[in-house]
Amino acid sequence: MTHEATQITSPTKPSEILLHLGPQHPLQPGPFLLDLKIEGETIREAELKIGYIHKGMEKVFEDRTYLQILPLTDRICYLASNSNNDVYCRGVEELLGIEPTERAKYLRVLTNELCRLQSHLLGIGEYATDVGFLTMFIYMVREREGVVSLLEAITGSRLNHNYARFGGVANDLPPGYKEMALKTLGELKKQVKSHDEMLSSDSIYLRRTKGVGVLTAKEAGELGVAGPPLRAAGVEYDLRRMEPYLVYDDLDFKVITQTDGDVFSRVKVRLLEILESIYIIEQCLDQMPSGPYKQDVTPYITRPKPGEVYARIEDPRGEMGMYIISDGSDKPYRFRIRGPAFATAQALPPLLVGGYVADVAAIAASMDSCTSEVDR
Amino acid sequence: MAIIEIYDIIMHYLVYIFADNPFAPWIRGVLGGLVIGAVFGGALVMVYLERKFLGDMQSRIGPNRVGGRFGVLQLIADAIKLFTKEDIIPAKADKWLFIGAPIVALTSGFLMVAVIPFDLLVIKGNEYAVAVSRMDISILYLEAVSGLAIFATFMAGWGSSSKYAVLAAFRNVAKMIGYEIPLGITVISVAVMAHSLDIVEIVEAQSSIWFIIAQPLGFVVFFIALLADVGRIPFDQTEAEEELVAGWATEYSGMRWGLAFFAEYLHAVVGSFIVTLIFLGGWNGLPIVGNLYIPGIFWVIAKTIMVMMLFIWIRAALPRYRIDQVIDIGWKVLIPLALLNLVWSTIIGLWWA
Repeated sequence: MTHEATQITSPTKPSEILLHLGPQHPLQPGPFLLDLKIEGETIREAELKIGYIHKGMEKVFEDRTYLQILPLTDRICYLASNSNNDVYCRGVEELLGIEPTERAKYLRVLTNELCRLQSHLLGIGEYATDVGFLTMFIYMVREREGVVSLLEAITGSRLNHNYARFGGVANDLPPGYKEMALKTLGELKKQVKSHDEMLSSDSIYLRRTKGVGVLTAKEAGELGVAGPPLRAAGVEYDLRRMEPYLVYDDLDFKVITQTDGDVFSRVKVRLLEILESIYIIEQCLDQMPSGPYKQDVTPYITRPKPGEVYARIEDPRGEMGMYIISDGSDKPYRFRIRGPAFATAQALPPLLVGGYVADVAAIAASMDSCTSEVDR
Repeated sequence: MAIIEIYDIIMHYLVYIFADNPFAPWIRGVLGGLVIGAVFGGALVMVYLERKFLGDMQSRIGPNRVGGRFGVLQLIADAIKLFTKEDIIPAKADKWLFIGAPIVALTSGFLMVAVIPFDLLVIKGNEYAVAVSRMDISILYLEAVSGLAIFATFMAGWGSSSKYAVLAAFRNVAKMIGYEIPLGITVISVAVMAHSLDIVEIVEAQSSIWFIIAQPLGFVVFFIALLADVGRIPFDQTEAEEELVAGWATEYSGMRWGLAFFAEYLHAVVGSFIVTLIFLGGWNGLPIVGNLYIPGIFWVIAKTIMVMMLFIWIRAALPRYRIDQVIDIGWKVLIPLALLNLVWSTIIGLWWA
């Protein structure tokens, strides 16, 4: 397997045809073009073309004040909006040399894990429709509804949360939140366990997913893939464990890994991570200290000292990093986003070659890429 | 019982109208039209049931706006929408194949309806089958006519000049070749056991024991092959939305798409009828009703609806096979099992005879 960007060649044999999946196709979470050269049902070559919804976010960020950037980080990928807020805030906090309050750290971990829950639930649901299992999609969306309501109760919005602030968070927990959260999460835990059982025992599902689209640990490393696809290949790579940010030091959790690296393992990792995230949230709710949830003084116009910083976080989909260079003004001099979905997207074409057309849907959805983030 | 007497009197007059007077052939023609209309309505019922029942299984509500709480008029609204939509024929399409495909699909469905009996009336020693036409080779005829549907798929796939449609058509042809064989062998097993190719006699042969009990393996093989034949989950590779957009109907729009869609449901309904008739005892009722007289047509329709429910249930419960796995199952599993069942039914059939 080579990892150079391969250009697809035009068909030479009469039995080969060129199939353009996209830019509009039911398979896709957003517009991209997947060119496939197929012979019968077998894929011979694959090429991914992206950039249909390029928003020029990095350039836009360089023309905004630090506070104005904050809500825009939501829009990088709406399923990971909390993580994006958090990683951006940690970067700026490092530039400013301030530290969030202890309670704010817990609140951020709490919302980050809720964000992971809803992202994984929707990811598995979309994936389930792609293997023709519509019922599982509806179940997952039903389960996700409760999690999104929990996020709404804290942040005030269901989609683009814009919750973290420099040195704290936007607001405190509403009264009675703990009981409400424990009730919803207890129900969710039960449901996810039963869905996991269903997906692990369905013979048709196993035949569709076992040994399909295997991404080995070595290939994943070369392509920069992190998150569930890498952990499914057996690598215990999790930023929450490797360089614990916020309060992950004080929390007890396992890094979920599987060994095979196929479609089945990737989804299994997500399912088990949901259970693990619920465990983390329960600990957060128990251990959360009282105290202020934000710094006393957060200036409207922030002027960090000149310097540069790279902050990274374990996103629901992998490793999200933001590189900020400050020249002392109220706007960043340079802003660079290293998104997890871009890496998983570029891992897609090599996985498809040699497989069947029917596997495209299963493999692409199991990578859980996000076009909005790829084209940020 | 009074009800039985009334029923008998009505039947007597019906038989006079439909069989014993000089105008009977014309009247039977009208009746045939009505039966076809009824099955057409049955397909509508299946679409509605599917949406409602599937909704229940997936913890959704399903249609709930048009026509009251239960959305009973939703289908009519959909039909109006389909009729008023623009009918697009792609510029590069093979026009006649493109137009012909839904017609062939529907024709195949209606031709199948023609031999489906709903009941057998025995009055004064004469047998009258409630069917558009009673043939002595009706089960073979059904098999032959249902095979026509594949032409519609391929015409549509080829005529649309769309790659998705062509791929779906190829898949469908490959699938049908693999699955018509176990379907045919199972039908032969049934015919061997009933000593007849006439569906009416096949049903009559089940008056003591239904064939689902006499040859359970045959039922399983037939049912799976039928699922593949009518293209429902887990065998709906030909219209796998995430891979091939809408399969062979990708380029269709408006009422032409509606007809293609409807033809599929018609095939599913007729398939349910066939399962009812050749495995579930047709109009032979269950003994649980005791002395209560229930017309055979009720049993046929009730059992057919049960089979349709089973189709919908399977759709809600299972993901989709990949096409190569489907072909594998057809050739490597179903055909050997069907042959085994043929041996079994031959032995049992001879022993009974």
